[in-house]
Amino acid sequence: MKIDISQSGDVHVLAFEGNLDTTTSPEAERQINELIDGGASNLLVNFDQLNFIASSGLRVLLATAKKLGPAAGTMRICGLNATVQEVFDISGFGTILNVSKTQEDALAEF
Amino acid sequence: MTEIKQKPVVLAVDDTPENLDVVKGILARDYTVKVAINGQMALKIVEKAPPDLILLDIMMPGMSGYEVCEQLKANPATRDIPVIFLTAMEQTTEETKGFELGAADYITKPVNPPILEARVMTHLALKQSMDELQAAYGIIKQQKDRMQEELNVGHTIQMSMLPQAFPAFPDRTEFDLHALLTPAREVGGDFYDFFLLDEDRICLVVGDVSGKGVPAALFMAVSQTMIKTAAKGDTSPASIVTRVNDALSADNPTSMFVTLFLAILDFRSGCFSYCNAGHNPPYIVHADGGLTCLNQRHGVVMGAMEGLAYGESEGKLQEGDALFLFTDGVTEAMDTEGQLYDETRLEQLLERLDRSGAEQLTGAVLESVEGFAQGAEQSDDITILAYYARQSSESGARDTLDLTIDADLAQIAEVLEKVQAFADRVELPVGTGQKMGMILDELLSNSISYGFEDPSGHEIDVHIHADARRLTLKVSDEGIPFNPFTLRRPDTNLGVDERPIGGLGVMLVKEMTDSQGYERLSGHNVITLTIELNQNN
Repeated sequence: MKIDISQSGDVHVLAFEGNLDTTTSPEAERQINELIDGGASNLLVNFDQLNFIASSGLRVLLATAKKLGPAAGTMRICGLNATVQEVFDISGFGTILNVSKTQEDALAEF
Repeated sequence: MTEIKQKPVVLAVDDTPENLDVVKGILARDYTVKVAINGQMALKIVEKAPPDLILLDIMMPGMSGYEVCEQLKANPATRDIPVIFLTAMEQTTEETKGFELGAADYITKPVNPPILEARVMTHLALKQSMDELQAAYGIIKQQKDRMQEELNVGHTIQMSMLPQAFPAFPDRTEFDLHALLTPAREVGGDFYDFFLLDEDRICLVVGDVSGKGVPAALFMAVSQTMIKTAAKGDTSPASIVTRVNDALSADNPTSMFVTLFLAILDFRSGCFSYCNAGHNPPYIVHADGGLTCLNQRHGVVMGAMEGLAYGESEGKLQEGDALFLFTDGVTEAMDTEGQLYDETRLEQLLERLDRSGAEQLTGAVLESVEGFAQGAEQSDDITILAYYARQSSESGARDTLDLTIDADLAQIAEVLEKVQAFADRVELPVGTGQKMGMILDELLSNSISYGFEDPSGHEIDVHIHADARRLTLKVSDEGIPFNPFTLRRPDTNLGVDERPIGGLGVMLVKEMTDSQGYERLSGHNVITLTIELNQNN
């Protein structure tokens, strides 16, 4: 897994590549926490290049959403492939997290 | 029949009334004596009320004593009445003639009273013994007939336990199968079986219970039923045999045992795995006439000892190859001189046999064995099963990936890489490859994190099989017995703040696969999942 982090205005864009699974989730969580601790409050998680997400990846997303909290900031997710979308649907994460279709759509929502 | 309370009846036949008076005088105290003065009269009396014994004069006008005797012996109703000839003649040739006609004895006239009494008494006693024997024989015969009838029913029941309708799978073009069993007695200890496990696999079984007759037949029925039950949901011959052995050994007061060969064959690929528990090794008869003896053995006979772990081996049939299973009734068939049919003869036969079909093969082997035995009594059951691989793998993606890893989270990444490479190689739909990776990540991490008190030193087996229609994933670990699919489904309607972290993996696995199975087999948790490939996923 690789995360490419860039900035678009006050939004930090995290472009994931590979799998967000048992092996890679701890590293993803570390990088995200580093950003939040560094003051980032608007996160756009771009899954365009994500192969699949496992429950450990969902756990990181959930932890991040909790950390940002309703007041502290916003996390949006975009670019779900069919498999990731299915995982979001089954787990209910599609309804509790902010999901957009494309990065443009997502940026417009912040 | 001799009446117990009444006096026995003796019929004296003589054309000289004085002679009859003499006889009467001697016998009247102990017997009821009836008299006749010629043959015709004697026959009439006998017909009306058969006496217990007949004293018969030979030389009589009209019908001679011989003729009377002949007629008595020709009639089933009177032939058992002892006849003693009374004659003045002393020539041995005449005596011989009387005996040839069935006479019991000879007494020469003039009659000596003690001798007459003694002979009559002796022959009546003999007759009574004979009657008792015959009555006893009648009872025995009746019982024997009933046992025979029961054995015949047993034979019918036993044979009905074996699949006997051929072609057994008329819709299957991938293979051709035939089996036959010729018991040495009405019922026996041999058996065979075959049944489909799923769309791709067939289980083939041949077994031989120690001993013969009813005990062997009963043990055979138990063994066959257990195997069939154990094979449901278990695709490992070693695991099936291990479990059935435990069950058979646990309650086996008569110390019977069974030799078994069990194969599970993927009839699309021709790949098979097999377990041999003390059975004679089968053969692969190759399309070109060559033979391979499957001489791997994986343990002793089943039923002998509890707690044994059986192994298994793998093999593959090419198109036109046949798997030939049999019991030792084939190779140990004896001719009239006690020579064995033996393996060499069987191998030579298999090498040159007509390969047009399974039934031709089994039939030809049986014919050869029977021809060899040439009417010598069959000493053991003969069982033959032949499986012909008709078409090898169908077109389309088919492949298998087997991995064994240490129970260590650090190994999961490597598994996922190999699985991805497998998905690419087999050209699985992209989504299916992604799901497969996700599912394995969930299963392996769960197993390693929660399945062991200390995972170090433990291994986990991953088996992936893809064919044109289905992807099958199997993960087997030796961890604490645990069926993940009995977990309660987490509440996915909770919001971000209410949601507990974790607990989702199993649900994702369940929802993203088409079937989920859990079994505890031979000390292993075995999870089997399938994903159908006929949809666009």
